[in-house]
Amino acid sequence: MEKHYWRSLAECENRGELAAAAEPEFAESPAREIEAGPSRRGFLKAAGFALAGGALAGCSRAPGEKAIPYAAQPEGLVAGRAQYYASTCGACTAGCGLLAKVRDGRPIKLEGNREQAISRGATCAAGQASILGLYDSYRLKQPLAGGKPATWEGVDRAVLEKMERIRAGGGAVRYLSETVTSPAKQAAIDRFLAQFRDARHVMYDAVSASAILDAHERTHGARVLPHYRFERADVIAAFDADFLGTWISPVEFARDYAARRMPPNMSWHVQFEGRLSLTGSKADRRIRTAPGEIAGRLAQLAAFIESNGAGGDDLAARLLQARGRSLVVCGVNDLDAQLWTNYINHLLGNYGATLDIERASLQRRGSDRDLADLLAELKQGQVAALFIDAVNPVADLPGVAGLDRIGLFVSFAGSVDETAERAHYICPDHHYLESWADAEPVAGLVSLTQPAIRPLGSTRAAIETLAAWSGHPAKAYDLIREYWKDRFDWDRALEAGFAEVPRTHAAAPRWIGRKPAPPAAATPGYAVDVYAAVGMPGGRHAYNPFLHELPDPITKTTWDNCALLSPAAAASLGVGDGDILRIEAGAAIEVPLLVQPGQHDQVVSVALGYGRKASERFANLGPRWINHKPTINANGRVGANAAPLLAFEHGLLRYQRGGAVVAKTGRRIELALTQTHHTLSVPKHLAPAGGEVRPIVREIAPAELGKPEHAETHEELWPDDHPYNGHRWGMAVDLNACNGCSACVIACQVENNTPVVGKDEVRRRREMHWIRIDRYYSGPPEDVRVAHQPMMCQQCDHAPCETVCPTLATVHSDEGLNQQIYNRCVGTRYCANNCPYKARRFNWFDYPREDRLANLLLNPDVTVRSRGVMEKCTFCVQRIQEAKIEARRNGAPVRDGEIHTACEQACPAGAIVFGDLNDPSSRVSRLAHDARQYRVLDELNVRPSVHYLKIVRDEKQQGEKHHG
Amino acid sequence: MNRRVLIGIFETEDAILEATEAARLRGLRIVDVFAPYAVHGLDHAMGLQRSKLPWVCLLLGLAGAAFKVWFEYWTTASDWPVNVGGKPWNSLPAFVPITFEVMVLFAGVSTVLAFFGMSRLWPGRKAVLLDGRITNDCFALVLEQDNAAFDVDEVEDFLRRHGAARVEEREQEVLR
Amino acid sequence: MAEVCSPLRPALIAGDKKPAGVTEDICRALLRPPSALWWGGFSVAFSLLLAGVAAVSYQIATGVGTWGLNTTVGWAFDITNFVFWVGIGHAGTLISAILFLFRQKWRTSVNRSAEAMTLFAVMCAGIFPIIHTGRPWLAYWLFPYPNFRGPLWINFRSPLAWDCFAISTYFLISAMFWYIGLIPDLATIRDRLQPGLRQRVFAILSFGWNGSYRVWQHYEVLYLLLAGLATPLVISVHTIVSWDFATAVIPGWHATIFPPYFVAGAIFSGIAMVLTLMIVARKAMGLEDYITHRHVDAMCKLLLLTSGIVALAYATEFFTAFYSGNTYEQFVFLNRARGPFAWAYWTMVGCNVFVPQLLWFRSVRRRLAIVFVLCILINVGMWFERFVIIVTSLHRDFLPSNWAGYQPTIVEVATLLGSFGLFFTCFLVFCRVLPVIAMGEVKAVLRHGKSHGEQA
Repeated sequence: MEKHYWRSLAECENRGELAAAAEPEFAESPAREIEAGPSRRGFLKAAGFALAGGALAGCSRAPGEKAIPYAAQPEGLVAGRAQYYASTCGACTAGCGLLAKVRDGRPIKLEGNREQAISRGATCAAGQASILGLYDSYRLKQPLAGGKPATWEGVDRAVLEKMERIRAGGGAVRYLSETVTSPAKQAAIDRFLAQFRDARHVMYDAVSASAILDAHERTHGARVLPHYRFERADVIAAFDADFLGTWISPVEFARDYAARRMPPNMSWHVQFEGRLSLTGSKADRRIRTAPGEIAGRLAQLAAFIESNGAGGDDLAARLLQARGRSLVVCGVNDLDAQLWTNYINHLLGNYGATLDIERASLQRRGSDRDLADLLAELKQGQVAALFIDAVNPVADLPGVAGLDRIGLFVSFAGSVDETAERAHYICPDHHYLESWADAEPVAGLVSLTQPAIRPLGSTRAAIETLAAWSGHPAKAYDLIREYWKDRFDWDRALEAGFAEVPRTHAAAPRWIGRKPAPPAAATPGYAVDVYAAVGMPGGRHAYNPFLHELPDPITKTTWDNCALLSPAAAASLGVGDGDILRIEAGAAIEVPLLVQPGQHDQVVSVALGYGRKASERFANLGPRWINHKPTINANGRVGANAAPLLAFEHGLLRYQRGGAVVAKTGRRIELALTQTHHTLSVPKHLAPAGGEVRPIVREIAPAELGKPEHAETHEELWPDDHPYNGHRWGMAVDLNACNGCSACVIACQVENNTPVVGKDEVRRRREMHWIRIDRYYSGPPEDVRVAHQPMMCQQCDHAPCETVCPTLATVHSDEGLNQQIYNRCVGTRYCANNCPYKARRFNWFDYPREDRLANLLLNPDVTVRSRGVMEKCTFCVQRIQEAKIEARRNGAPVRDGEIHTACEQACPAGAIVFGDLNDPSSRVSRLAHDARQYRVLDELNVRPSVHYLKIVRDEKQQGEKHHG
Repeated sequence: MNRRVLIGIFETEDAILEATEAARLRGLRIVDVFAPYAVHGLDHAMGLQRSKLPWVCLLLGLAGAAFKVWFEYWTTASDWPVNVGGKPWNSLPAFVPITFEVMVLFAGVSTVLAFFGMSRLWPGRKAVLLDGRITNDCFALVLEQDNAAFDVDEVEDFLRRHGAARVEEREQEVLR
Repeated sequence: MAEVCSPLRPALIAGDKKPAGVTEDICRALLRPPSALWWGGFSVAFSLLLAGVAAVSYQIATGVGTWGLNTTVGWAFDITNFVFWVGIGHAGTLISAILFLFRQKWRTSVNRSAEAMTLFAVMCAGIFPIIHTGRPWLAYWLFPYPNFRGPLWINFRSPLAWDCFAISTYFLISAMFWYIGLIPDLATIRDRLQPGLRQRVFAILSFGWNGSYRVWQHYEVLYLLLAGLATPLVISVHTIVSWDFATAVIPGWHATIFPPYFVAGAIFSGIAMVLTLMIVARKAMGLEDYITHRHVDAMCKLLLLTSGIVALAYATEFFTAFYSGNTYEQFVFLNRARGPFAWAYWTMVGCNVFVPQLLWFRSVRRRLAIVFVLCILINVGMWFERFVIIVTSLHRDFLPSNWAGYQPTIVEVATLLGSFGLFFTCFLVFCRVLPVIAMGEVKAVLRHGKSHGEQA
């Protein structure tokens, strides 16, 4: 549907009145500027703060409904109709453009910004979930001094005078942050540090790309991170780089990758990795490679390429065929490997083609070397003042010591994390949806963040704090306007959410490198591999129950991080799922085992970001009854922190290290898995002849393309009394595009008010997600193929669930929707039993919604279900209705692409298409007649409205292609 | 109303059957026979005509079935039609089971009520007993002295001849 | 109606009773104070009932989540118990109605308690469809009643709606059947009691029955009609219950054999339960003369027959699956026999197919202790039959991603025990306050097999 942005001055004045009305309650309202007479600035400020007036009354004190209806309804604002603010996602440094959907003053949903180059309308799971952070009741509501609530004035005074002393003493001042993608903020930091003689800004990334930057400093003379262009690559060779899952800019990469994976002319992708990653699960060929072997593999590949494909290596041959149209990426934070990667890309002439270092990526700028130095200084107590911004080194890094010997320790953390709790002052930053900000994720692309709501507590943007401490207090908004002055049309940029600016780099750095030295041999024994999980990209999300309950797309675990071992390795240790293992590599941690097919036999993988203080809050999550078990583990937290396993080697933070020792502890826990049978083949001893493998997910080779399968015609026993004359909603899911990233799952959960039920309920197989992603393995356990299949209510025309419901609580609409009427449902569960897809979800308890602040996230267009009723995917009927009403108002019919279900909207791969099957020109109709089209369990003649498109995988050696 | 009756009390099933039969052939007016259990053949002996209950059962049963078919059609296809699993508005086959149940229900309940009506039984009705042993182990043949020709002594030893253990002459308020 | 029976036929009732003797024997049990044995049984049954009440209250207060169910296995103990009890309930009507139509006079000694058992079993059964819903307080929505919500009726296409009608009709008809049979006996007792409260109660309950043969005549016809109605009814009820599954798409449920299969199973379990109770009652209440070895023998033969039918059904299911060529169907049955719930499946087969074969031997049929144990086993087996049908079909259906396990919680177990508590509590009370044997009917058959006094 059409988005609403702020435009006219008149609107702004109305905002003014609104905010003014709220004046007594809110000390710092934008009203002041506005009373001074309408100005563009005033309006824009108002744009950010406007609705907050109403909303805040709801957020902090009274329950939400008090926010509406407005006594005097401001012009252009219709209670019950959403407003959309263009903004930028702050969940990570990738900088995806967003539209924040604001309903009656409350941001309730994030959607990708279609125009913005990074997002192109998509988001990732973490991004979708990050909106919950806004309503996190554990966020600080005011600054803390020595752990006690304080005022900003007080904190400023104290900090300034301490800084004065340090400046006089010439003590070392260090500013530690994650990659700063905001130029304005960078400037503010520089200004701030300029006051001191010995001051340094240290950046690090919890998941570091330092080696890539360092390597390019060697090979191109500039410490740049290439902007990888997967949409231009015909052949992709990825070495331990999970670019579809978590690596650098997954949304952008997933979209670009998917764009080139459309049959018939698909790109060809080979993945070398030790752990089965999301990316590996999509590869045409996947080669198990231990981390230690990566550099060697690369060197070998380089040799083949140098010798122009001699040796008949398939990959080398394909790469050579695709000079300038190929891409080799490596995710290992190891200089050797990266140098070899650059060398190969250089040989293949990919620089300037599939790797853009002219308009390089700024999404990772951290330097592990600087970080290592800082940690050393800290140990020796040489740091007089430490400012920590948006990072949590104590939990993120190994061996952080000497924090208590700092003279002035300030944290900008929004809530008290492991690091902040040791700081002298905590000056809480806004949530990104509350603040003005800018970001330059890729050189030349400026993405703006505008507030979607007034700050819920008296927090202060870090940039403002810095300005105040630099002696030039200013509002974040002014600082950002100031920084960009006239580089672009601010209003248009704000409306669009981003702007293009002239390149910041003079000329593209040229190749100055040479052939790297042969890599060191891999160390024997287990290699420990610490990775960022798709569902938990970093510890900063540890507060987020949505993400904890999101099944990992590969392991299907929730509420835990596991030690992944290959079946062979697990067998040799005599352990099975849930056995707690002790992993020793320098430090030691204990995590439960999960046997992971496709895992390298010598690699044990553990996910980062778990075992955080923030997860202690989940102690009482979930329904309480006699048999209820807690969501947290024995350590009082969710999972275990894997950071101690990291280590610095040659100034690089190593996520993969050889020589790890894995031992069983004898203890075990029951994992919370959402899928316990992992293949489409039934157990051998139960397999009927011909029924060994079930045709639920279908996969074909490129050669078989275009062979439409014989259409089965179903005889009808009865007259068809139900023709669909108007719309007939349907969906198409392209399994070849879907990479399992699960953004759809969270998007659906946020959109449809699906409850979080906690570990125990998941363990009992009662997770409530309306859309799930079934993951099936095939092939031998050491070398598995993976298929991801999004599964939701199939909206069958002959719905088995409807026939059996005694109370008519689930019936069919005349637009082909299978409707669930909650208030008529008595909960016999007959429908769920009779659903061949088991797409229905039952409210076994009154799932607690006690956090009133978090409840502000609830979508007012979707009923909150009570105990004892059945629920399921509705095809986002509220969105359909909204679009139909809109269309009626405009007197125009609903056009194809006007309605996006939440899952479709979030999907980076464009795998989900929703539309009207009655409209022959609609995308969904075309896909429904695609040669790859099939319907799951079609033989039951339940007539599902969801069409699936087969996976296409090219596993053959190139030679075989012809006679394939 | 009270009537002059002659009551023969019998000890055995055979005796009462025989006596009743004989009394009927003799043209005596049999008011009723009382027995602790349903003695087979007594209805013939007394010359009763067949009961009408089966007709009640049949008709009400059919009525119930007809009503239910109409009701199910009306609710699902006419009063408030909804598309349920793409099934036709009028899913007659699916209506059969309940139709049958309702038929049985109507037939059963109505027959029972009809029985209570015909035999004038209702909760708490005061029982008119000829003898406490009737509901236990003895039988009674009740003859009405309808006309002058009724010779008490003669009938009495007629009953005795047919094995009456006891014969009483009473001014008795007899049911119906 | 003439009796045709050979002089050689052994007597139905032992001990050459006279009608007065019958009344004497049956009423003695009612008039003397309850025995220690009775109190023992009652206290056990009643405490089970209380446990059940506690469990159900807790579940209704907290949520169906207190059961071990999950998204994949939406039914387990709840519907298993429902079908189990309905099945038990079938024997009563069978004995009183079907055997009546077949002129099986021996039924007279057991039909009264069998009918009572039917009522109590159907009561137990009726509880589960109500409490298994997510919102039991709205369970009445399953019935069509005039309302202001639309008008909003129910879905007459849903087997669950059929169930509501079947079960309630069945309960009403059996209740009337039972009470009609009771009236003459109530009168008998009324006339034996000293004036007092109890006497007055019986006076009210006996509807002023006075043994008039004009009433007896209607009575006989009515009894015949009710028997005629109850017979197809009893078959329809379990047929409809079986349709809950047969009309579904789930492999293992979607089977046309279910109606006969379920009815046979119901009679099988029902007879077993009757025997269990009779063997106890016989001893406890000194009714050896009325419930003779002949009765036990006849019912054992019925068990043998129905067990055979059930066994055939099991075999047929496998054959159909194999013959259908439908791999989902085939998998379900392989999974039953060899999957995670194989233990339940083999318990079922063992108890329902193999154990009853012992009844081929007269020596076994004569040993009441053994018969008693067999009947208990058969009831265990029949409970597991329903459990197997429901859980093994659900827990691994079409999409392997949905495959899940199932484990009952203590709440579920307590609810099951509670239903047994209710059943036995009711039955024990019944034994104390009402004649467990239909005196009227027994008196009518006293002279069976006596060489003298036969008449046409």
